[in-house]
Amino acid sequence: MENSVAQRLVTALKDSGVSFVSYLPETRLSRIIPLLQEDSLFRVVPTTSEAEAVSIAAGAALTGNQAAVYMEGTGVYVSAYSLFAVGERFGVPMLLLVSYVGSFNDKRNSSAFSHYTKTPQLLQALGIEYQVVSRAEEIEEQVGDAVRVMNSLKLPVALLFTGEFTL
Amino acid sequence: MKRFDCLEVMAPLVKDEIVVTSGSGQRVEWGHLSQHDGNLFVGSLGNALGVGLGVALCLPKRKVIVLESDGSLLLSLFNLPTVANQNPANLVVVVFDNQAYSRSNISHPTATAGKTDLAMTAKGTGIEHAVTVRDTAAFEKEIVDGLRTEGLRFIVAKVEETLDHRKMTRPNFDLLENKYRFVRYLERTEGKAIFLNERAEGKKI
Repeated sequence: MENSVAQRLVTALKDSGVSFVSYLPETRLSRIIPLLQEDSLFRVVPTTSEAEAVSIAAGAALTGNQAAVYMEGTGVYVSAYSLFAVGERFGVPMLLLVSYVGSFNDKRNSSAFSHYTKTPQLLQALGIEYQVVSRAEEIEEQVGDAVRVMNSLKLPVALLFTGEFTL
Repeated sequence: MKRFDCLEVMAPLVKDEIVVTSGSGQRVEWGHLSQHDGNLFVGSLGNALGVGLGVALCLPKRKVIVLESDGSLLLSLFNLPTVANQNPANLVVVVFDNQAYSRSNISHPTATAGKTDLAMTAKGTGIEHAVTVRDTAAFEKEIVDGLRTEGLRFIVAKVEETLDHRKMTRPNFDLLENKYRFVRYLERTEGKAIFLNERAEGKKI
């Protein structure tokens, strides 16, 4: 992802009130990490597992923070139990920022293609609303929509990033 | 030493602290002893320490006590390096280690019944104050120190396996009611809104 796109995403998060981000880094969106860390408005927590990142974000959300979890698409598989046990059963709003690895518009797809294209089905099985994001010019609106929906539902909501976000 | 003995020691010490429990026997026993609105009964295994860490990081002026079991912690050992590196000075982690999966109904041994030492594991990840206690006097000293002094604490309490909690009245509220009680308690005591209500704030939605 180009730095300008990363900055646009981080600004969109900030403008939507997101203030807490737990994460496990990956390849497509990783340029957002230094931008998040440099901005004192964000509390940024690196983790060792997406399952943990979801639980930590839930704790942050229950104390009044707009929380996000940044992960690779494979992280949805790893964190499925936490998303269900804490996010769904407790009803905790959090924004999942997921690189949609292996998707049709993933510009780096290669061996990963088809391996992880079941991410939408997994989210559906978990009852998690999601949108696919592929164009940088739409990021502000899509992040704003996602944050509004997660607060309305009081549930995790996912954005799957592909296209321009995977360059 | 029984887990309930430790919880009885802890109960009168908890005033405005936050208590986060995993979904094991201690959830029932703590709920039996404490009707504190600052209790968050995470009804699953492997999530309480992560949730408690998130709460502790966001409420640094409040003590947060996480009640874990050996089975639940072993399911989520990935939490320990993050807890160590975040090093929240307001977090007290208690692991009731009965060395068994009691819910298995066959008392299947956990790894701590073998070679695994959870306090040593915690130290290995970088948690400096990680101790094992084997009697209620030692537990009381650690929990009192943990609540009265700053610094991350990790207390492994070696307890007997009991099924006493199965004879106790379970909390009569579900996870959603518990969440709202907890959230409203924080709103009262922290003086801020927890869940965003854009309509109430007059925003166009």
